[in-house]
Amino acid sequence: MDYTKQIQEIASRLFAEEKIDVFVGYRTTGFDENQVPVLIRDPQEVSRLVFNDKSVFNLSNYLKHEHTRNKRVGLIVKGCDSRSLNLLLTENQVKREKLYVVGIACDGVVDETGQKMQNCMECIVPDAVVYDEMLGSPKGVKDYIVNADIHELGSKELTERRAYFEEVFENCIRCNACRHSCPLCYCAKCCIDQETSTLYHGANTTSSAFHALMTWSLHLAGRCVDCRNCEKACPSHLPLHLLHKWNERVIYENFQEHLAGVNEGDRGAFYKYSLQDPDDFIM
Amino acid sequence: METEVKDQIVSIEKPEISAPPNWEPVIMGILCNWCSYAGSDLTGTSRIQYPPNIRIIRVPCSSRVDPWFLIKSLQTTADGVLVSGCHPGDCHYISGNYYARRRFLVTKKLLNFVGFHENRIQFSWVSAAEGPKFAKVVAKVTEEIKRLGPLHLYKKENFEK
Repeated sequence: MDYTKQIQEIASRLFAEEKIDVFVGYRTTGFDENQVPVLIRDPQEVSRLVFNDKSVFNLSNYLKHEHTRNKRVGLIVKGCDSRSLNLLLTENQVKREKLYVVGIACDGVVDETGQKMQNCMECIVPDAVVYDEMLGSPKGVKDYIVNADIHELGSKELTERRAYFEEVFENCIRCNACRHSCPLCYCAKCCIDQETSTLYHGANTTSSAFHALMTWSLHLAGRCVDCRNCEKACPSHLPLHLLHKWNERVIYENFQEHLAGVNEGDRGAFYKYSLQDPDDFIM
Repeated sequence: METEVKDQIVSIEKPEISAPPNWEPVIMGILCNWCSYAGSDLTGTSRIQYPPNIRIIRVPCSSRVDPWFLIKSLQTTADGVLVSGCHPGDCHYISGNYYARRRFLVTKKLLNFVGFHENRIQFSWVSAAEGPKFAKVVAKVTEEIKRLGPLHLYKKENFEK
């Protein structure tokens, strides 16, 4: 999967036709093969763009960036990225007519060690669902697979799970990088930053980490698209996908196989209801 | 004295933590204004006894209950939470409790996943006419949480500061 040439051509064409002000893509760091996002404003700089299987980040996160707000933006999206873009469109955070979306029929991306990422192995929607132009051959929607980690951890005893997560919360340093890197966390004032409560501020305690991570994961329940930007951004390498994948599984199994952002106009699972929702856990 | 040691209540999630003598659980009760709060009022006016462990908060509707409320109460003082609202179809705001039901299920499952016994987070539908049912529900929840023991959720670190 190497679309560097095509993407450079598309970007220079868009700049020549004056369709966009900014193009959001990937560039290499200059030190190694790893890639970082880049905002191209000058048509001369188009040659910096690359795209191959190391292009891991979800660029729809950059639509809340000050340099892209209220501008015409060109954007590269893979399957998972396009789902989060779909949600941003549904939640009226970006305007479709201001975007030019280059969709990718994704073969999966690799991490630093060259291994295919876990979320790509379990990917349900590899093709971009929102696009103006598609690169690669579409693969269609795949079957839902229960994540191996939550399957293993979910079958453990309560005391073991408690001990495991206590360690996770202990290791959190409350830097909020997970929130900043999440494309769906776009609130200007986040509720986990409020200063009215001493237990809720940025204090670096297990308790505040528990509180913040739980609240954060429940705000993303039914919306998370499993792009794993949060995990890539986490300096403590916390297994944040466990919380999201668990919620995704509960929601998929109980609420009519809901998957976030797959269809246009779909909202999160908590924005709708069905009379057939399970009721057996209520007294 | 020996019998006291034998009967000591331990936390089900962390067996190394035991309850102090004469320990009583604190239960956070979040009740909807239109049904359950009126139901609990009826329990009182009907002179039906129920355990005093429950601390009641009144909310306009069960869909006002942000999962954050449950997390916050478990993080600070409560050993268990009881959320109660109108029966499905009876919501004062037509569909509030249907939205709430989805959130409750996900919250309950997530908290169970990260290591809370599922019975610490309880939900019930109590209408304004069900005074005896409310007393029964509170008694059941209190008994259940007494059996599960103290929650002890990172509390020590908070209160030592």
